[in-house]
Formats: sequence, C-alpha cells, structure tokens
Amino acid sequence: MSDALLLHPDIDFIQSVMASGGEDLKKCMQCGTCSAVCALAPEDAAFPRKQMFEAQWGLKDRLVADPAIWLCHNCGDCTSYCPRGARPGDVFTALRRQAIEHFAYPRFMGRIVANPKALIALFLAAALVFWTVALWAPKSGPTPGLEFANVFPIPVLEALFFSLSGLVLVAFGAGLARFAKALKTSGAGVNLPAGLGAVLVEIGTHARFSKCGKNENQRLGHLLAFWGFLGLAFMGTAVGIGTMAGLVRTPLALGNPWKIFANFSAVVALAGCLILLLGRIRDPEKRAASAYFDWFFLLTLTGVVMTGIFSELLRLTQATRVMYGIYFVHLVLIFVLFLSAPYSKFAHLLYRTVAMGVMKTAKAQK
Amino acid sequence: MDKKLGVYICSGCTIGESVDTEKLAKVAKREGKPAACQVHPFLCGQEGVEMIRADLSTGAVDSVVIAACSPRMKTEAFALDPQMILERVNLREHVVWCHPPGDEATQMLAEDYLRMGVVKALKSEKLEPLSDPVSKKMLVVGGGIAGITAALEAAAAGYEVALVEKQAQLGGFIATVQKRFPGQAPYTDLVEGGIAGKIQEVLYHPQIQVFTSARIAKMEGQPGMFDVTVQTNGASSSLRVGAVIMATGWKPYDAKKLRHLGYGQSPDVISNVELERLAAKGPVLRPSNGQPVKSVLFVQCAGSRDKDHLPYCSSVCCMASLKHAAYIRKQNPNARVYIVYKDMRTPGQYEKFYRTIQDHPLNFLTKGEVASVEKAPNGELAVTILGTPLGEDIIVHADLVVLATGMVPNSADGEALRALENAEQKVNKGESESQKAEAARRVEELQYHKGTEILNLSYRQGPDLPVLRYGFPDSHFVCFPYETRRTGIYAAGAVRTPMDSTHAQEDALGATMKAIQCVELASRGLAVHPRAGDLSVPSFFLQRCTQCKRCTEECPFGALDEDEKGTPKPHPYRCRRCGICLGACPERIVSFKNYSVDIIASMIKAIEVPEEDEEKPRVLVFMCENDAYPALDIAGRRRLRYDPSVRVVPLRCLGSMNIVWIADALSRGIDGVMLIGCKYGDDYQCHFVRGSELANRRLENVKETLERLQLESERLHLTQLAINEFEKLPALIDGFVGRLREIGPNPYKGI
Repeated sequence: MSDALLLHPDIDFIQSVMASGGEDLKKCMQCGTCSAVCALAPEDAAFPRKQMFEAQWGLKDRLVADPAIWLCHNCGDCTSYCPRGARPGDVFTALRRQAIEHFAYPRFMGRIVANPKALIALFLAAALVFWTVALWAPKSGPTPGLEFANVFPIPVLEALFFSLSGLVLVAFGAGLARFAKALKTSGAGVNLPAGLGAVLVEIGTHARFSKCGKNENQRLGHLLAFWGFLGLAFMGTAVGIGTMAGLVRTPLALGNPWKIFANFSAVVALAGCLILLLGRIRDPEKRAASAYFDWFFLLTLTGVVMTGIFSELLRLTQATRVMYGIYFVHLVLIFVLFLSAPYSKFAHLLYRTVAMGVMKTAKAQK
Repeated sequence: MDKKLGVYICSGCTIGESVDTEKLAKVAKREGKPAACQVHPFLCGQEGVEMIRADLSTGAVDSVVIAACSPRMKTEAFALDPQMILERVNLREHVVWCHPPGDEATQMLAEDYLRMGVVKALKSEKLEPLSDPVSKKMLVVGGGIAGITAALEAAAAGYEVALVEKQAQLGGFIATVQKRFPGQAPYTDLVEGGIAGKIQEVLYHPQIQVFTSARIAKMEGQPGMFDVTVQTNGASSSLRVGAVIMATGWKPYDAKKLRHLGYGQSPDVISNVELERLAAKGPVLRPSNGQPVKSVLFVQCAGSRDKDHLPYCSSVCCMASLKHAAYIRKQNPNARVYIVYKDMRTPGQYEKFYRTIQDHPLNFLTKGEVASVEKAPNGELAVTILGTPLGEDIIVHADLVVLATGMVPNSADGEALRALENAEQKVNKGESESQKAEAARRVEELQYHKGTEILNLSYRQGPDLPVLRYGFPDSHFVCFPYETRRTGIYAAGAVRTPMDSTHAQEDALGATMKAIQCVELASRGLAVHPRAGDLSVPSFFLQRCTQCKRCTEECPFGALDEDEKGTPKPHPYRCRRCGICLGACPERIVSFKNYSVDIIASMIKAIEVPEEDEEKPRVLVFMCENDAYPALDIAGRRRLRYDPSVRVVPLRCLGSMNIVWIADALSRGIDGVMLIGCKYGDDYQCHFVRGSELANRRLENVKETLERLQLESERLHLTQLAINEFEKLPALIDGFVGRLREIGPNPYKGI
C-alpha cells in the first residue's frame, strides 16, 4: 500500500477555483456523465470527470500540469448534461486561469492580471505612458494633413512596442518553460517538435473545435478572430520592421496590397470578435458563467480592433482631431493586451498548443 | 341437514354464446337437485341479484351457487349473507374467455366446474362467527419515538393504551441526540430534538398507562385477549390487551467487530453513536488528547452491506454522517471533513441535505473502500482508501475517524430461543449419548440468544416473534408491512426495518392502524389479514389425533399450542385461516366448514374423466388462490388460450394441500396434477409465509405414493408463479399437458 497517494487538499486552491468561475465545483458526484458526453476527451484519458475530483480535493499540482484542461474547448456539453449542475465546463475555465496564474513569470504580473482592481492600475499605467508620449516625445515636424505621427511619433512607438514585445516573449518563454517542467514531473512526454506540424494544422483549421457539435457559431467566431488577429499581428510586425529599416513610409496608401490585406484582416478579426461577443451575450448560461477573465480578454481584443478601424476611418476623412483621442485609446488597449498576454486568456494560444503537442506525442508513443 | 340449493347461471359476458347454458342447468339439476335453478343474461345486474335475493327471502333457497365470472369479481353485487354458503363458479375468466366458443371441450370444462361448485356447496356448512368477549386495549412495547407515536395515535383514535419501556425514561435514542435530520422543506437544515413535548403528552394522557423500568414477564392468550404480566421494580401488574405494537427499536452494530477499521486500536476511532454522545455533551474533542478536531473522516457502511457483518443497508448512516459533518462544521468552520462511502444513500428529500453538505469547500466526499486505519507518524490517523474515482488508492490523514455503523433490530429470535430450550432439555434427557452430545453442541451454538427475550409469549413455537431475514420480525418484505408471524402483534419502527425517526413515526401510524383493524375484526369474530373478514375457523376432530405435532410445528403463525401429550390446542383468534394445518394432518382431522379434505376430494371426484380411448386427458391444477388463481383470471381477461383439459381447484394456500388429494386424483384416472404456488425462500411471496415451502416439502412424500401406484413422477409438477407472471401460464399449462400426452394416459382410467 506504499504506492497509495497521500492527499493533502490545497484549500486555498479549492477556494480560488470556486471564486473564479468554478463555484459549483463541489456539486459533482463523480457520475461521469461529463466524460461520456465530451466529444474531445480521448478514450484512454477521458476528462473532465477525473479533473473534477482532483479540483474538489484541491490537487493543484496535478491539475496545472494536466494537458487535459487545455484540450477542452469549452463547448459546454458537459455543463448542459451534468445532472447535478456542477458545471464542469466552467470549472475547466477556472482551472485554465489557475494554471496561467500558476506558471506566470514574473509571478506578480499573474496576480495583477488575475485581479480586476489591479488591472485598472495596469490600464492607468498604459494611459500614463501614452499621455507622456503625446506630451513630451520629440515630434518630427508638422505634416500636411492630420496624421497620428504628429502626436505619437513613430520611432517612439516602435521602440516602445518592440521592447514590450521582447519582454512579453521572455515572460511567455519563462511561463512555458515552467509548464514544460511541470508536465515532465507529472510524467507527460513533451516532445513538441515531433507533433508540432500536425498540431499547427489542427489549430489552423480549428478541427478540434468542430468536434464540439453544439457550438458552430463559436467555432466560426474563433476561427475568424484567430486568423484576423494573426494577419494583423503579422502586418504590424512587418510594417514596423519595414519602417525601421526605412523601406516603408506610413500611412500606406489605401490601394497598397499590404494595406488591403491589413484592412481585410481587421474586418475579419472584428467579425470574429463580434460573433463571439454576441454568442456570449445571447447564451444565458454562458453569460452567467463567463468569468471576468474571459470578458477582459475578449473585450480588450474587440476594443483593439474597433478602435483601430475607427482611427483609420477618422484619419481618412481628415475631419476631426478626435481621431487622436481614439488612437490614444487604441494604443492603450494594444499595450495592455500585449503586456497582459502571458497572464490573460491570451496565453491559451501557447499553453493549448503545447498541450495538444503533448497529446499528439502521447498518441505517437502508443 | 338438507340444503335448499339455488343454482344461478349467468349467460352474459359471452358465456351464453360460448357454452350451452341450458345444458349446464340440466347438469346442475341432475347433480345438485337444487330447489331453484335459473339462467339469467345479466346476473350481476339489479334484476339478477333481486332474483337471488327473492329466492333467499322466501326461504326457497338457503345455499347459493353462482356460475358466472371469477369469484374475485362483482363481489359487491353478490355480497349476500356472509354466513350463508355461497359458491362461485368461474365460467367467464376460466372457461369462455380462454377457450374456443361452441367447442365440446369448452362445454365439458364448464360442466365440470359447475359440478365441482355444486358439490362444494352441498358439502359446505353454514358459518358462525367467533363470539368471545374481546379487549380493545393496545399494548405498546418500547417507549422510543415509534412507541410514543403509536401510543398517542392509538389513544387519539379512542383506544386504551399500555406503554412498556425498559429504561427509566421515555424517549429512546431520539431523546439523546443533539439534532435530528431535516424534517421539512427546504431540507437543508437540521432540526432540534422535539421529543420532550411528546413524552409529556404520553405521561399525562388519561388513556395511556405508562410502565417505565419495566419488562414483560409473560404474555399469553390470543388477539383480543392477550394476558400480559408487566414487572416494574419488583412490582407486577396484569393487563388484558387486544393487540400489541412492538416498537423496540434498534441497537448499533457492535463496533468492536470492526478492528480492521481501527476500532479499539486507537481511541480516535469511534462509532457514529459515540460521536452523537460526545456531541450531546459539547464540542467534539479528540478522545486521545482532548484537542479540538481539525479533521475528521467518516467511514460509511462500516460493517454494513458486508457479508461478514450486517449484509444490509441501514438507510440512515449516510444521513447520520452528513449530520455529524454539520456538527463538526459548526464547531470548527475550518475543519476538513472526509466522507468515504460505498454509495451515498439519502432517500427522498434527504438528497437535498446531502447536497448542502457536499457543497462546502472543506467537505470531501468520495466513493471508496477503507482498507486500513493506522497511526501516522504525526499523531494523526492515516486512512488508506482503495478504489476511488481518481483511479488510484489514496491515503488521507485525519485526527478523528468515525465509523458509520448500522442498525441491528432489538428483536429476539423466538424460534431459536425455543430450539435452545429444547436442546437444553435433551442434554439431560436425551435418548442416547450421541443425541445428548448433539444437543450440547446445539446449546452452545444457540447460547447467545439466552436472555434476549422481550415478549415472553407462552406460545408453543417460542417466546418471541419468529424472525425473518437479518433478524427482523416483519413478516413480509413488501406486501404486508407491520405484519409479524404472530397474529395481533405488529412491528413498528427500526425493529421492523432500519429507518430514521421521521419514518419511524409514519411506521408507528401504520402499525397502529393494523392493531386497530385487528381488535375491531376480532371483536366481530372475523379473521384479520390476509383473509380479512373470513368467518371460517378450523376444527380439530381430536379423538383421531395421533399427537404427531405436525400441525403445531407447521402453523406459520403459532396458532396452535399443545397440551402435555402433544394434542393441539387451537387459538382461533390467532388463526389466519390458511389451512396449512389441514394440509399437514396425516389423519385428516382438520376441517373448516367450507374447506376440508372431504370437500376438495369430492370436487375432484366431480370431475368427469373420459375413457382412455377418447384421448382426452384430464389434468388437475391446484392453484394458490392469492397469486396463481388471479393470474389465471388475468390470462382470461387477456383472452390467452390454453389447453381445456385442465381443471383448476383453488386452495387457500398451497400449504393447505393434503397429499391424499393427489392420490385420490391419480387413482381416479386423472392424468397429472399440477401445483402452482408462490415464490418461497428469502424473497418469498407466500401470503402465509411458509405455505408454499411446506407444499414443496410434502411433495417429496408424494413421490413414494406415486411409486406405490406405479406411476411416473412426471405426472406431478410443482411450480411457483407471481401474480404478474400470468403470461407464462398458457405455456406452463400446455407444456405440462403436452408432456402428459407423451407419457400416455393414466393406467388407472376406468378402474
């Protein structure tokens, strides 16, 4: 009996899962209906029943290192079928949030993003940064029309965002390294490159998403937001590098193929975000359950795209200096989105990719 | 005494279209020489019933045969004089609805049934009710929640009550608990004790006589006239009561037998009842060091649902542990509470309380099997749990472990006590040394029953109620709650089946109702359950009795005592009129006025057995009239077809089957005899508890009879059938008739 597991429930963990969207956790009676109805759970490692038990008993170390929590796409089937109203889907959302916070580097950032009050401070700090830029940064001289560079000089923004991106990448890297270490300790084989190709194809097509029969709209919204955002990120980086290298001068003309691609990406991303938002608002169950964590990420993302499009339209009409204010909001939102990326729901992009890789590796090993 | 028989044949409900009723009337006239014989198209209608009543009121007729539908139907329309001889011939369900119309075989079947009915009416005698003076006072044994409720309810219904309690105070277990299970919506909060008021009510009730620190020294007699001697502190009182409610409650399963769960190994392993006692005194502390309890683990089914301990579920331990979890939570909001269960069983609305407890973040519930409870190095207890839903075995540390033990009925096994007494006598007076040794072994085996007596009945079969499965004295697990195997004594509360206090109160109500029915029926000289209202009683022609004691042994209800020589002493008020004594008696000296060896034998003789060369077999079917017979009625209503060569004789209980009838039937050329009774064994369905089993045993002896007659043993077939298995009947009957055709005709035909 020496190989029996000594259990010491982590009470803080249970309470924080219950406080962050998993408040019905304890209602689970381990019937396993959730695992039976889940379209995504692999037969040999079904979820979410087992994870519900682990969460009820506060087994934090196992849960944060369990790829299963990332394999769930929160379609809500388990929640709808749960005879006890334990809402496993919501518990999983809360568990993912706990995992992101657990692996956060530096840790205090994880705590700030997880806390709505501290988040306001983050927004205020971002606003202060761009207020300072608008007031104090050296300008390159007046241009013929209204141009954002008049208030927010491009080199300053580039310096700011490239260094921020650098920091974010480091933080992401550190977080993922912790995750990988935890996976290894828990016995999951991590050989990401082996399965990466297949995983990327799966992510690109949202193939797993479509297995969740109930949620065709959610899949479409997510697919559009994903690709639209990827297009925008690519364009932002490319144009940024181009400008620094002196190859590109912004703003690009409307007919420029790059510009067309960027605008197209923005529209796609906006459509995706709106579908997701509408889905959340319309579904009474989801709206009630959606934690602050989800809302924060989705609203910031939508805000970024909307203020971006709005800024561009105002710039094109050249009608009013209000466009500087909108652009200011746009910059603040991007800044917060970037800065919080490793600690917000944004991070699922990377954690889930790794988890899917682990699953593929496990399958290949069989 | 010559009877003036009236035979009334109904031709309604397609009877007239299927069989020739005029021919039937001729048969009746030939066989019964009736004073009146009428065919009527709608006998149960007003006109038909008036016709019968008119014949009765003019005195033209004093005994009636109604050949119409099943005797189970239209009982209100044909409710004539209950003392009069009334025989119903089942032409509808057993003849025309299940056999082809206009067929010769159908007509022969109808004629045989009519002949059998007429013969039975001619042989029966008018019934007289018992008429002894009867006490309607109730004796309630046990002053816990069930007994108190029964006493109050019986008193409220106007009956005098005597309540006997062995403790000095009333209230039982419930008086000792801190809180009780939730009693009303939303079923999420425990409630206060609430028994003190009831105790006062009982103590000051003018119709309730209370004996505390009391025991029953002796109880003799029968329903309506039990004479009870109650002893209290040396004083002795005599009471006459009509019925008894036994509400002696339960005791916890002995935790000392649970050493494998750590009991007795560490003072910090306690039973749920011990926890209840600790909680009644104040906050629960660790017994080993008096420190506050920071974590507690409840082991459910501790010694329950376990073949080595109590094999059954006590239905309350899950709720008790949830209640105790609430106690612990109240005294320490940060305590960790673990509950390890086989299955969480919280019947009915109690599920809501379970959910409430489960919801707390610091309450940890899991399915699992506790393998060991050992001391951990840190002074806590390490509990190893196997088979958790986690898929792994786990160890949990707790500083208190509570074993949720089950309920054992506070009953005494009357039959074992009697067996012990007999063995003790044989140890000294045995006929041989080996018999003495065997008796000594038996004494040792039964010794643990010594001193468990509760009712101290002066019954031949033992001083207490016979017990059934697991030591509970309730006589029927589903159909007849509260009934015990001693007429007039009803079990209520946890002694009947494990239950909590709320259900015990309901149970007390039920048992009180049964007791009231008993004294009321007894006061009118009628039988109680299950032949409620029956006026017939067995009479014993004792001049021919050989003192073989079969009847006194076999009566499932202990209705017969014995004198010194072993002659039966009947107690008709204890009798349930099943006729098992009639079936048991080899001398055939037991008869009812309307049910006897001779009556049934005459009915068998009334069957016309065709000659061998006609190739028309005749099969006699003895059917239990409680299950098999109504099942055949249902088969009729469903228009199921079966072989028309069967002739059904309903028996009060298959246990009343006297083997002489089988010999009679076979020697008359009847090709085979089928016996259909109720399921027996642990989950028996026999209305008279042991009748079907006894019939089965008797049939062993019949095999010898068959050999003597040089007949094939396949000509006899005994089987069991539940009332809802009516669809099996045609195949059962046809299969047996088919086998008989293969064997060939009975060689005794025509002799």
